[in-house]
Amino acid sequence: MSKFTDSLEEKLMPIAGKIAENRYLASIRDGFMLAVPLITIGAVFLLLANLPIPGYSDFMAKAFGPNWNTFFMRPFEATMSVMSIFVVFGIAYSLAGHYKIDGLSTAAAALAAFLIFTPYIVNYTPEGAKKAIEVSGGIPVDWMGSKGLFVGMLTAILTVEIVRFVVKKGWVIKMPKGVPPAVEKAFSALIPAAIVAVIVDIIRLIFTWTPYGTIHQFIYTVLQTPLTRLGDTLPATLLASFLEQFFWSFGIHGANLVGSVMGPIWLALAAENLQAFQAGHALPHIITQQFHDMYMLLGGSGSTLGLVLGMLFFSKSKQVKSVGKLAIAPGIFNINEPVIFGMPIVLNPIMIIPFILTPLVLTILTYIVMILGLVARPSGVIIPWTTPPVIGGLLVSGISGAIWQLIELVISFFIYLPFLRIVDRQYLEQEQAMAVESQKV
Amino acid sequence: MLKIMLFCSSGSSTSMLINRIEEAAKARGIEVAVDAYPEAQMEKYVEEADVVLLGPQVKFILPKAKKICSEKGVPVDVINPVVYGMMDGEKVLDQALSMAKK
Repeated sequence: MSKFTDSLEEKLMPIAGKIAENRYLASIRDGFMLAVPLITIGAVFLLLANLPIPGYSDFMAKAFGPNWNTFFMRPFEATMSVMSIFVVFGIAYSLAGHYKIDGLSTAAAALAAFLIFTPYIVNYTPEGAKKAIEVSGGIPVDWMGSKGLFVGMLTAILTVEIVRFVVKKGWVIKMPKGVPPAVEKAFSALIPAAIVAVIVDIIRLIFTWTPYGTIHQFIYTVLQTPLTRLGDTLPATLLASFLEQFFWSFGIHGANLVGSVMGPIWLALAAENLQAFQAGHALPHIITQQFHDMYMLLGGSGSTLGLVLGMLFFSKSKQVKSVGKLAIAPGIFNINEPVIFGMPIVLNPIMIIPFILTPLVLTILTYIVMILGLVARPSGVIIPWTTPPVIGGLLVSGISGAIWQLIELVISFFIYLPFLRIVDRQYLEQEQAMAVESQKV
Repeated sequence: MLKIMLFCSSGSSTSMLINRIEEAAKARGIEVAVDAYPEAQMEKYVEEADVVLLGPQVKFILPKAKKICSEKGVPVDVINPVVYGMMDGEKVLDQALSMAKK
C-alpha cells in the first residue's frame, strides 16, 4: 500500500506544481483576490437594503423617505455590479508582476482595452414605452459586472502579453541621459499602450462584422454561458469535489488547485444569483461559490467538523483526543490542517474513504433538498469561506440554510464515526502496548 | 532577531503556528518575529525574511519557492506534516534555527 501511495504521490506532486505555477491561473486567482473584498462589502450593503424582516422596508421608507435604500444600493452598485473592472485591473497587475514589467501602467492599459471592447450603448425604456431603446454615451453596467467577467480575464491576459512582447522587442521610447526617471517612465508606457489600443480596436472591429456584434456578446454566448452552465451541474461539482479531496489525501492543497479553475465559474454563478435576488426573481442556480464553501465543506476540506466532534467526545486514545482538542477551534472556522496532518488523514487509507465520501454525499443531498425547495438556494451573497457553519448557512440561504447545515453536521458525523472507531482502536492498542512496555522497564 | 516567514495557501492555517513558535522561542530566550502569508505573495515579503517555511499542503510549490528565495539568499524548506498537524512550535523553531545556521 505504501509503495503504491508513494508512487502516486510522486506523480501527483508535479501535476499540482504545474497547476500552481501556471501563470495565467495564478494571476486570475490573485486578480480575484483584489475584487473579492469589495464584492463582499457590496453584498453586505445589498443585504442591508433587503433585510428579510417583515415591515423593515415600510419602516425605513417612513423614517428616511421613499428613496431610503439608495444609500445602501450605491456601494453595491459601485462594487459587485461592476466587479469585472476590478478583476481586469487585478489580473493584469498580477500577471505584469510575474513578467516583471510595470504593473500599474499595464493594468491601466488593460482597463482601457476592456473599455474599447465594451460598446458605449445602454438600453433604456422610456416611460410608457413597451420596448427598450438603445441610448449611446453610457458605459453599460451590465458588461462591467459578472457578464463581462470572462472577457475581462481574457483582455487582461491579452494586454499583458502584448506589453511584454513590445517591451521584450525593445520598442519603447528611450530618453537621453539626464531626463528625470519619472518622465522616462511616463514615456516608456506610451508605445506598449498604443499598440494594445490598436490591436484591441481591430479585434473589436472584426467582431462588429459577426452576428454577435461585440466580443462581449460572443464570449458570453460561446464561452461563459456554456462553462457556467456546466459548472452548475451536479456531475461537474462532484468531480470538482472528488479532485479536491483526492489531492488533499496526499497532503496537497486540493481546494487551492480546484479553486483556481472553478473559482471564476462559481463566482459568476453567484453573481447571477445575486442579480436575480436583487431584482426579486427566482434564483437561477444552485451551485455557486457559497454552495461549495458552506454546504460541501463543513469545517474545511473533507467536511471534517463532524469528525472532530467525534474525536473530542467519542474517542479513547490520547493521540486522537489531543488532535481533536487542537482541531476544534480552527475547525469551527473551516480550517482543518491539524486533522488532516495530525490525525492524520493524509496517506491513511482508512480515513481517506470517509474524507472523500462525505463531501460527495453532502453535495448530492444538498443539491436534492435545494431542487425540492426544502432549503433556499444560496442568494449569491459572497461571504468569507472561514464563516462558521450555521452562521454561514443563515447568511447565504436564511433559516433553512442554518438548519440544513446542522443536519449536514449530523450526517457527516455518522459517516466518519465507524472509520474513526477503527483508527481510535488502533491507536489505543498501540498506547496500551507502550504502557505495558514501559512498566516492564 | 530571527525573522521566520511561513507560507501556505491563504496564510490561515500557518498563522495558527505563529503564537506557538513565538512561545517556544520566548521560553528559550530567543528573539524571533514570525509572520504568515499566502504563498502567492511570497515575492512581496521574502526580502524581509531570514528563513522561509512552507506548510506541507503547499509542498508542491517548493520548486517555485526555491527559485524566489535563492535570488534573495533566503533558505526555504517544508514543515514536516506530523509536526504541522500537531502545531508543534518547538520543532518548527528547531527547524528554522538549524536552517538559519547554514
